[in-house]
Amino acid sequence: MSDVQIKKFVVTRFDPDKDEVPRTDTFEVPCQSDWMVLDALNFIKDQLDGSLSYRWSCRMAVCGSCGMNVDGAPTLTCKSPLSSYGDTVEVTPLSNFPVIRDLVVELDGFMEKLKAVKPWIIRAKEKAVEEGPYRQSPEELEDFKQFSLCINCMLCYAACPVVGNEPDFIGPAAIALGYRYNLDSRDEGASERNAIFRGEGSVYSCSFANECSEVCPENVDPAAAINQAKLSGLVDWAASLVLPRGGKD
Amino acid sequence: MKQLLIVLEPVIWFMFGQGIMIGTILLTGWLIVVGVGVPMGIFPADALAYERMHMLGSNVIGRVVLLGLIVLPLWKGAHHLRSLAVDFGGGDRDAIVGSLLYLIAIVGSLLGIVAVIRL
Repeated sequence: MSDVQIKKFVVTRFDPDKDEVPRTDTFEVPCQSDWMVLDALNFIKDQLDGSLSYRWSCRMAVCGSCGMNVDGAPTLTCKSPLSSYGDTVEVTPLSNFPVIRDLVVELDGFMEKLKAVKPWIIRAKEKAVEEGPYRQSPEELEDFKQFSLCINCMLCYAACPVVGNEPDFIGPAAIALGYRYNLDSRDEGASERNAIFRGEGSVYSCSFANECSEVCPENVDPAAAINQAKLSGLVDWAASLVLPRGGKD
Repeated sequence: MKQLLIVLEPVIWFMFGQGIMIGTILLTGWLIVVGVGVPMGIFPADALAYERMHMLGSNVIGRVVLLGLIVLPLWKGAHHLRSLAVDFGGGDRDAIVGSLLYLIAIVGSLLGIVAVIRL
């Protein structure tokens, strides 16, 4: 049995049916030394207050559900050891999102942005099945693999100062996931996506604070994707001025 | 106006990015030469003599470099000030503020072109 330490958890509560504004509840939790922040929240839910609402699922930093602000910083709670925090831990919902209840935030806006950047392979003409699969070398896979590791945890949106100021900004995760397909050797839709990246809420709104890459639990480095998308968008824009078919592939 | 800014955003970003490069690399070197090297006698005092500088700046490559040194930081400054205005809550007036700042950068760029041609 590992050592137990009592920690105080100050947790944001919000019930849209009762509360005008969010409030906080404080819980004292006997934390084991090997616990993550999520373990303490589960203890509160199981033992102290069953009405506490928050998202979680896999407990292994894969599903991206349990993102919250812990002591003010966007954090994947299943991956954050409690030993890194003091005696009092403040847990609030992710910034820059509407709150549905307690620590649960509304993700519809992000889902619309994600869909808008067309995060799927676009082909001018699909190959017939009998022509076989699209082959890809390990080097071609490496070109985009890093950006495909995003787990949609939304920490980057909570950390991004531009998302906070400009709600229309496409945002780090959606740009990384869209740009990932621009780098895919099987894809032919880069121009379509670049036009979206240059449009309303464009990649050029990014002021390169780099907070998205700082908080990313999977080291996706969305700031790199945004900067590459800026350059790609510029080249495509210039090509559209001089080439008859624009910058289309 | 907002739509025009969105359309021109790629090229504005390009000028801004090049302005950052000029500002951080070339102007830093310039300050080291002018502010440290010459006063401390590391470089001869006549290294920056008018005749030498005029000769350096009046050939085609020198004029292009000078134009870059004048124009690109103007765009960097305009874009930075626009971002600053948005950060300080001026998002609603972004189209007006951005247009005004870029207009100043355009006027400065035109004056820079005239200056290097007349050099």
